[in-house]
Amino acid sequence: MPTSYAFRLAMQSLKKDKWINLLSMLTIFAGLFIISISFFVFYNIEIATRNLPEKFSLVVYLDNNLGQEKIEQVISAVRAKRAVSSVKFIAREEAFRELKSTLKNSQYVLEGLEDNPLPDSLEVKLKRDAMGSESVKQLAEETKRIKGVSEVDYGEKFLDILQNIKAGVKITGLVLALILCTGIVFVCYSTVKILFYRRTDEIETFKLLGATKGFIRAPFIIEGAAIGTTAGFTSLAAVFVLHHFLFLKLINSVPLFKTVLFPSHVFLLLPLIGMFLGIFGAAIALGRLKY
Amino acid sequence: MEQPDPMIHFENVTKEYELQTALRDVTCSIEKGEMVFLTGPSGSGKTTMLKLIYLAELPDQGDITIAGWNTGTLKESSIPFVRRNIGVVFQDFRLLDNRNIYENISLALRIRGIGEREIKARVYEALKTVNLRHKADSYPRRLSGGEQQRIVIARAIVAEPTVLLADEPTGNLDPETAEDVLKTFKDIHAKGTTILIATHNRELYMNSGKRVLRLEAGSLVSREVC
Ligand SMILES: Nc1ncnc2c1ncn2[C@@H]1O[C@H](COP(=O)(O)OP(=O)(O)O)[C@@H](O)[C@H]1O
Ligand SMILES: [Mg+2]
Repeated sequence: MPTSYAFRLAMQSLKKDKWINLLSMLTIFAGLFIISISFFVFYNIEIATRNLPEKFSLVVYLDNNLGQEKIEQVISAVRAKRAVSSVKFIAREEAFRELKSTLKNSQYVLEGLEDNPLPDSLEVKLKRDAMGSESVKQLAEETKRIKGVSEVDYGEKFLDILQNIKAGVKITGLVLALILCTGIVFVCYSTVKILFYRRTDEIETFKLLGATKGFIRAPFIIEGAAIGTTAGFTSLAAVFVLHHFLFLKLINSVPLFKTVLFPSHVFLLLPLIGMFLGIFGAAIALGRLKY
Repeated sequence: MEQPDPMIHFENVTKEYELQTALRDVTCSIEKGEMVFLTGPSGSGKTTMLKLIYLAELPDQGDITIAGWNTGTLKESSIPFVRRNIGVVFQDFRLLDNRNIYENISLALRIRGIGEREIKARVYEALKTVNLRHKADSYPRRLSGGEQQRIVIARAIVAEPTVLLADEPTGNLDPETAEDVLKTFKDIHAKGTTILIATHNRELYMNSGKRVLRLEAGSLVSREVC
């Protein structure tokens, strides 16, 4: 069986040059691990901000003493806007009650306030795709021009920053991943090249006995794949260990981490990615060699 | 009268290395099933001639036909398949020190994609031919020069090539072992293998009744039957 012999040769070589192989495996592991971590961060920022529009809302304050009819008119005008998903009316009494209950422990703030200082308001939720800070700003301006609306409040700064962070993380992540992938391919490339040169004599004999290019190259491709795949599995294990021991502990003590998601289905691809990069590097190395 | 195509044919072949001409305008044929000696002083071009046959070198002028393949039209990807017709007893052995004798010999079969069971049978058969069955598990470095020589012969014949080339196959042997080796070659020849033996050992070819090609400074100077 020529295929099984190729595997045998690859295994022999992996064992014989174990330090070179181990070193390049660890290097690739480090690369894949960093890629995983940054993907993890990126993924969570993406998820968190994707669900944000549903939590995010515009608060529309109404003029005092609008009649019921007027209020209905304002509500339907707001509801007609394309970016709006829902509108909820909050009567000033209700808002006051809520304020009181929020400040339960600091009632003194409200001392001396006999009258309700709050106006009626509308809580406006946005559609998912209306998240861009530009369109929210536009919506706020338009809403403010509706008769009966006194003020519109929204987290303008917050939205801007969020948008910038998202773009920044995305670009940084992509650039980092690209650099690291190139590095990984290069590590495999040099490893296979070194292994090949160390066996020049043996390969020459193989050739003289009548071995084809494929016969000679196959073990090196397998070796590259093995190194990459092992590195992939190792980084997969590392990611899971990190998740298990660090993250699950953190979630218990820091509530913020409760919302963090662990995209295990993506991380399961790591061995495959490692294998692909390994084969790619080996193939380039062999392509540039004469035989 | 129509002659059958020769197994090996050199047509006006010249081979030049950087500093000198190793073969000069050589034309000769070796017929199918023939056993031929190639002789001449050291440096006369014997090894070069063998290398041209197993395609470790290509001619600078002229062309060579080997078992129907012609160097003038040969593609690089065909070289392995030409070599599979040829068993070579290399002057420098080319045994792999990190593999035992069994693995060394089986290489010639593995590269042909032959299965493990057949490999085993054939390797032991070849080892029997050179009387070294008991050395299958040894490593090359542990064997004497003469034993290594015979292992190389076993590797050259294990795949039953149509052509056998041997470069100074008795160079490291005492006269008795040399005699054995020659007998092995004759047995292989008797089965129909075409054999070309490069040697400067007169004993080997005197009164053999075989053709002897004699090289001198790269030129073929005689092709008499001895
Ligand atoms: N690879 C090489 N590079 C340069 N010169 C070579 C090479 N191989 C052989 N020669 C030269 O070619 C000539 C013929 O060599 P060779 O065929 O080995 O002779 P022989 O086998 O008869 O001793 C010699 O002079 C040798 O020095
Ligand atoms: Mg020589």
